[in-house]
Amino acid sequence: MKPRIAFFDMASCEGCQLALLDCEDIFLDLLELVDIVEFREALSETSPRIDIAFIEGSIHREMDADRLRGIRARSRLLVALGACACNGNVQARSNLYSPAGNLGAVYGPGDRDRVQTDPEWWPLWAHTRVRPLRELVRVDYELRGCPMVKEEFLHLLKRLLLGSLPHTAAHAVCVECKQQGNECVFERGETCMGQITWAGCHAICISHGYRCDGCRGLLPDANLAAHRALMRARGLSEETIEDRYRLFCSHEIDRGRP
Amino acid sequence: MDAFLASKRQFLDWLRHTAADTETFFPQPLGEASFQFARVRPDSPLRLEDWDSGTPREAFRASANPVPPGKLLSPPGETLFRFRRDPDGRLEFFPVLDDAPRIIAGIRPCDLHAIHLLDGIQSAGVPDPHYLSRRGHTTLIAHDCLQPCDEHCFCDAVGALRQRQGADLFLTPMEDGLLVEVLSEKGAALVEGAGFSPCGDREARLAWAEGQRARPFGRPLPASPEAIAGILAGSGASPVWREHSERCFSCGTCNLVCPTCYCFDVSDDIDLAAPAEGRRCRTWDGCMLPDFAQVAGGHDFRPGTAARQHHRVARKFQYLPRQMATGSHCVGCGRCGHQCTVDIDIYDIVKDLVERAGP
Amino acid sequence: MSASPLVPFPARLEASEPLSERERLFRLALPAPMSHRPGQFVMVSFPGVGEAPISIACAPRDDARLELTIRRVGSVTQALHALEPGRDLGLRGPYGNGIDTALLAGQDLVLVAGGLGLAPMRSLIQALLARREAFGRLILLAGFRTPAEALFRTEYPDWTAAGMEVHALVNRTEHQPWEGQEGLVTEPIPHLGLDPGRTLAVLVGPPVMYKFVVLELAACGLSSEHIFVDLERRMKCGIGKCGHCQIEDLYCCRQGPVFRLSDLETRREALA
Repeated sequence: MKPRIAFFDMASCEGCQLALLDCEDIFLDLLELVDIVEFREALSETSPRIDIAFIEGSIHREMDADRLRGIRARSRLLVALGACACNGNVQARSNLYSPAGNLGAVYGPGDRDRVQTDPEWWPLWAHTRVRPLRELVRVDYELRGCPMVKEEFLHLLKRLLLGSLPHTAAHAVCVECKQQGNECVFERGETCMGQITWAGCHAICISHGYRCDGCRGLLPDANLAAHRALMRARGLSEETIEDRYRLFCSHEIDRGRP
Repeated sequence: MDAFLASKRQFLDWLRHTAADTETFFPQPLGEASFQFARVRPDSPLRLEDWDSGTPREAFRASANPVPPGKLLSPPGETLFRFRRDPDGRLEFFPVLDDAPRIIAGIRPCDLHAIHLLDGIQSAGVPDPHYLSRRGHTTLIAHDCLQPCDEHCFCDAVGALRQRQGADLFLTPMEDGLLVEVLSEKGAALVEGAGFSPCGDREARLAWAEGQRARPFGRPLPASPEAIAGILAGSGASPVWREHSERCFSCGTCNLVCPTCYCFDVSDDIDLAAPAEGRRCRTWDGCMLPDFAQVAGGHDFRPGTAARQHHRVARKFQYLPRQMATGSHCVGCGRCGHQCTVDIDIYDIVKDLVERAGP
Repeated sequence: MSASPLVPFPARLEASEPLSERERLFRLALPAPMSHRPGQFVMVSFPGVGEAPISIACAPRDDARLELTIRRVGSVTQALHALEPGRDLGLRGPYGNGIDTALLAGQDLVLVAGGLGLAPMRSLIQALLARREAFGRLILLAGFRTPAEALFRTEYPDWTAAGMEVHALVNRTEHQPWEGQEGLVTEPIPHLGLDPGRTLAVLVGPPVMYKFVVLELAACGLSSEHIFVDLERRMKCGIGKCGHCQIEDLYCCRQGPVFRLSDLETRREALA
């Protein structure tokens, strides 16, 4: 019997699911191998039993946490899909401020007070803290990146079909830059987070002339002290350095390493 | 064997012509300040003008070339074999050996020396036919250095500058062009019909070139490679390892840009359209990467960057030279120091060790 | 012969039986008999997932059969555990030096195995018992954490009957039935009455075990020249090329995995 796979989204831009739909060249092959039973971007069926649940997005509210626990309970394997689900992504930076402060900053003080007092609105805003999935449930595998990498998704699926999980080496993006034959970003006088960021993206940003901003998260043994010193030596201000680290890795900076 | 004379222009035109029939690689600009051994195309920007002039901005510099030419003999992700499983569970394996002819031209002596050392390693013990097949079908055209590439170079200090063995053609810059020496049958066959002028005064020209060679050549080391091997053997407890690795990211760059690093990992893949078929690939790996010495279950037999740094340096100067009965396996190209974003330089480490070991 | 030593040959899984929660015994049918020494290993492939080094768990045999004990610990072994009998896996080898039983002739032998270490040790045990008369005392100390993790339990009586002193120990019985002793694998050593002049020891187990066993053996007068240890590393090629199994200047896959302890004493990475 074909494995039943399902996709769910929590707080995210759904860009990872769109990245998946972008796999049109292999999608028909994929459907030969699996049954997709839930996929909000493409269909609306629900299934009581799931072999592999792919969950996109971070968890902000208790109602989302409950939904996540429910999915975990009916899934054999649970995969965190993309940076939001794996490490809280950019929205984890809001953890530095109070929910009320964030509301006020975005919607102004009037709406801030209204949604916090109006019983019709407040459950939607009963925001606690941005959390990656692994803080709430057991996660079997993480597909990092903003968005997730199509090849990694396929690799995971192939391994699951063979009765195994992939091993993801904790290598820096530098490894893939060398494999791609790229010129180092520092060589052209700029700075980069490749040395402290999980590889797996084939150094796509650097290969296209940009730098690595760390969307795949910090490596388990990332030498942040040395990296910070290097960024300073390259003339970056403390504020800029903090912004660079917190863009994608705010949660990891605050909570210690993954 | 024969020797010819060619103008630099004449040589590069011939190389372009040859590249139309045979996959040919030559150093070309990469990004803003780097070089890559890239395929030669009809419109490729090939230069030889400043290679021996000591004006390093235009000349091909080994340390500014993150992927050394020898890596063309072990490309990242090379397929070792394909397999197929039939519905009854029977397996079949199909080895993949690359026998496409290739030419790599513009190899500096340090990189030539590195390929020569790799030839020894891949032929020793149980030979590696994947490397040897590709190597056997590759023609090497090396180019002598009369000036060090840049401030990172220390090839002479580790005995790599005078390397000629392994090259099929050897180029030496002359006032009036290039001396093209034929060093092998393969080189003779390649250069036949090139239209280069026969050279009657090879020895005099080589002597002239030797007279032009910079002295000292690149950075000197305070001890011979043999003496360094001895010092390394007793250096396990030295604080040098910690001092030179505190700022290390374990990013593996020093391994991956090293022309004599050849460690690898393997990974399998299946075809999505035919899941019973697939391939096993070999990927580059390096001893500075954090999981390199981990065993199944997670125990790490070489934990920490200091221990890994020690292993990397000892392998170049102590372990491999003794095992293979060769000189240093560090060829002094300067890549690891140049490409490291926090300037961890094998030259500095070795110099530091020697100086602290005392006279 | 394949054109490349890195390309496996197919071997058929005849049977796979559970030995514990994590370990299974794989019985393979090979295309041709494999001549190997105890202590050697093979590279086992589940094509599509990868390859892992696995110790051979049986004595050399001439019927083109091979037995492997495989612990489920990574992606390859996980896939192998799910492989159905009748289907092929890939095999390369044998690799490594193994142990030359001729070197052991006439000696008293202490074999110390911890956990999964009994799998490669079983290869040696079978080889020794097949020529029982060629050796002096044969003593096996096999240690496990719990009875549920004890490997090859049903074979201990046969080994005893064939002339080996078998001491099977568990750290704790956890209220499971256990016919052996309770305690650490080091505990019986002082009471064995070893004659250091004619005793060799062979150790297979986790590095932490070696440290304590070597201390006890040294207390009985055994020197490091008389102790062999079998080391585990993460071989990726088995032919001295991939670099993963290096112990400083030694290649575990070529000069090992069985080493004389005296050859390792100056190498800090060996038993770390």
